Amino acid sequence: MSQSKDRMTVKTGAVAAPAEETTFTPFVDIYETDDGTTVLTAELPGASPGSVDIRVDKGVLTIKADGQLPDVGDGYARTYTGFVGGEFFRAFALSDEMDRDGIEADLTGGVLTLRLPRAAAAKTRKIEVKTG
Amino acid sequence: MTSLFRWPSGWDPLGTLRYMQRELDRLTGRSGFGEARRIGGGSFPPVNVLNGPDELVVQCEVPGVKSEDLDLSITGETLVIRGQKRPPVDGGEVRYQRRERGFGEFTRTIVLPDKVDPDHVEAALEAGILSIRLPKSEAAKPRQIEVK
Repeated sequence: MSQSKDRMTVKTGAVAAPAEETTFTPFVDIYETDDGTTVLTAELPGASPGSVDIRVDKGVLTIKADGQLPDVGDGYARTYTGFVGGEFFRAFALSDEMDRDGIEADLTGGVLTLRLPRAAAAKTRKIEVKTG
Repeated sequence: MTSLFRWPSGWDPLGTLRYMQRELDRLTGRSGFGEARRIGGGSFPPVNVLNGPDELVVQCEVPGVKSEDLDLSITGETLVIRGQKRPPVDGGEVRYQRRERGFGEFTRTIVLPDKVDPDHVEAALEAGILSIRLPKSEAAKPRQIEVK
């Protein structure tokens, strides 16, 4: 899915939690790299880049996606069911140290990767101690 | 992690129970935390088996697993899905704040409800869902018998 980058943008504005019965909380990994960038990876199997809705509002980051199963066609009986399709939803509180306009999103192999750079003002500054 | 299940003539004896458990979880408000998507007993990866007139379809949820890390094999009526889920960062110094996704090697063994033609099996990986289409062998296809 190389086109995913063009089609996904981080929007602003409030988003209500979905009320559908089949709403799932995706599994996430969150880690911080050496340069202070926070990386969030979320498992959204079945979601297309167009169905992913990422928003930042009042310091809250929300991820919404539609994870549907591939359509196999009619005339198939379910012999065994281990998972079902449905909507993904999860919200996170964002630190003030994040650069909200610099968030990058990518969806590859059913995994969403968000890169949240640190705001310039929040970057660690080394203060030199002068000796006199 | 190996799991094996078998059912007589295409019937899943625990399917109804699993469905009831999911509905109960939904009513009592226990659902909604990741695991709810998986109806089965928590074996990774979760699979669906669909039985059509000419083929069987096996769906397998493997987000973040690359196609080169997946290995499929069929022996008779047994389908084995082997694979490896790699951590998001290979080496390098990172500080984790949350780790829910997990990684490692996995094996799932599925006893198919019908005989299939192993030479014409097709597998496709899209958006983290592996779809395996297994055409039924001629002997397993339903046949219409005319009454004279």
